[in-house]
Amino acid sequence: MSAADAPTVSRPFFRRKKTCPFAGANAPKIDWKDTKLLSRYISERGKMIPSRITAVSQKKQRELARAVKNARYMALIPYVNMEIDTGGGYQGRR
Amino acid sequence: MSFYETVFIARPDLTEAQVTGLIETFSKVITDQKGKITKTEYWGLRTLAYRINKSRKGHYVLLESDAPSDAVIEMERLLHLHEDIMRSLTTRLDELTEGPSCVMDKSGDDREDRKPRYNKDDKKTDKKEAA
Repeated sequence: MSAADAPTVSRPFFRRKKTCPFAGANAPKIDWKDTKLLSRYISERGKMIPSRITAVSQKKQRELARAVKNARYMALIPYVNMEIDTGGGYQGRR
Repeated sequence: MSFYETVFIARPDLTEAQVTGLIETFSKVITDQKGKITKTEYWGLRTLAYRINKSRKGHYVLLESDAPSDAVIEMERLLHLHEDIMRSLTTRLDELTEGPSCVMDKSGDDREDRKPRYNKDDKKTDKKEAA
């Protein structure tokens, strides 16, 4: 078992250094209303993807977390994605 | 005075006219206290990601304002008390945004910017869920 779960390991000793997707001049602005942007940093289940995989900087990851939580609260994205929910579904308290 | 953005979800059984009435009443709270409403957006009846108060849909409204904090606190208080409002969220903005928000850019539905062939299927499944 090597670190095969990294997204791009086509060549073993070459790994391109990733940069924060929110750094730079024309980087997208983190907005909790932008579900399409947020969906890139959320797993299919609805959990946030760790920044070590998405290469988001610490500062932006905190901002992103806030955005995801706001979007969840306003029911733009689910807290838990049960995908095909049969009977009952998500029995949240909210 | 600082910039705020308020989004609230109204009950789905309201008519559009009733929603515009709500927008007016809450805008008035801001303007009465010397605040300014800089943007109002009605996102339409959208499907919620999960059920709130046993409903699967809701009318989304966005208000952007340049107002004193007292006005915003008062509006939030009234939003919480109002029976037709299922949920509301106010966030502080660093600066006022220009143009329609990203929700409006994608013409209301978050899937309409995708390939058109998916559209039909999406709408069908939506109807099934609602029924």
